[in-house]
Amino acid sequence: MDRRDILADNPVEKRRGYMPGVSVSPGRILFTAGMTGRQPDGTIVPGGMAAQTQRTMERLQAILQHAGVNFSQVIKQLLYITDMEAHAAHGRAVRAAFFGEARPASTALGVRRLADPAMLIEIELVVDLPDNPAGQPLLEKYNVEDHGLDFYQGVIVNGGRLIYLAGQVANTHDGTVAGVDDWRRQAEQVYANIGHVLRAAGTTPASAVKETTWVLDIASWRQHGTAVRRAFYQGDYPASTLVEIQGLARPEFLVEIEVIAAVAR
Amino acid sequence: MPYTTITPAEAKPVANYKMATRMEGGRLLYIAGQVARDTEGNVLGKGDIRTQARQVFQNLRHVLQAAGGDLSDLLKITTYITRIEDFPAVAEIRSSIFPGELPASTLIVVKSLAQPELLIEVEGMAVLG
Repeated sequence: MDRRDILADNPVEKRRGYMPGVSVSPGRILFTAGMTGRQPDGTIVPGGMAAQTQRTMERLQAILQHAGVNFSQVIKQLLYITDMEAHAAHGRAVRAAFFGEARPASTALGVRRLADPAMLIEIELVVDLPDNPAGQPLLEKYNVEDHGLDFYQGVIVNGGRLIYLAGQVANTHDGTVAGVDDWRRQAEQVYANIGHVLRAAGTTPASAVKETTWVLDIASWRQHGTAVRRAFYQGDYPASTLVEIQGLARPEFLVEIEVIAAVAR
Repeated sequence: MPYTTITPAEAKPVANYKMATRMEGGRLLYIAGQVARDTEGNVLGKGDIRTQARQVFQNLRHVLQAAGGDLSDLLKITTYITRIEDFPAVAEIRSSIFPGELPASTLIVVKSLAQPELLIEVEGMAVLG
């Protein structure tokens, strides 16, 4: 707890409903997966941006409630939006109603598509949790819905040391790009690199708490990358987000994966 | 600084950034995505990536300083741009602003940022001693 909102000398963010920075003494931290307007049957809630934002926020609320908190404890929100104008017109007010007076640090991105082409918005959160982590397991991974997909909806880190990985790409040790135009080869190299970094940091794939996968084409990633990802995590998944974007640092890169992990103090 | 730089022998970064950082203590700071707005909220450098990039990193530094830190306390940054052809200019300005190696870093080209005139946004996490 012990949250501090950081207001720079800039009043703009307050009017726009977010804080420039939020700092906490990280006793217990919750990372959520990216949530969307998905319904229990796998379809996307009808009704456009307002309905999808409402459903997304309700699902996030359930994840927060499971951890015993509400939106006032959110440190950071990341919004992935396929139609920025529709969000400004119909999504922002829906979100604001859930946050009330609370102001997290925020980032809003316009992206090409999300996991399902019908998805207009996806939101993920980082949340400060109360209580002392002493005596609790390092990680608590949980779902609040029976979604059957390859991720957890919430992962709590109890008093661990957080590890922030640079975005990992299909770079080999000699500096060349593995698998030009080859999704499978790039997926293998990216996860090999993540494995190397986690080992060097003193931990394993099971310690991953949040994963963001940025790809140039979601259909190709599903076809060629999913098996590599499953073999890497072996069921012990992080909270995750999959986003289709326009480009990465080099034209050869098809995928970039960011991971946050944790090790015991 | 209460973090450790992770340097795997088998995997190397593509450029002058850290492969990973591990927080060893202190307070955790999450910084909102910073864009090229001045203190009145006006977007600076419309169509001009160099002006926007300089303003963005200046704003990032202001938030860190308001929290009692500086650029060297960053664990990780993510740079979002809307045009890949802007990356060389962004990389050059970014390298000139950071004192040595960058934190762990990710570069993503997105369809757009919150407003059409914004060309770059940078967010980060830092540890405060």
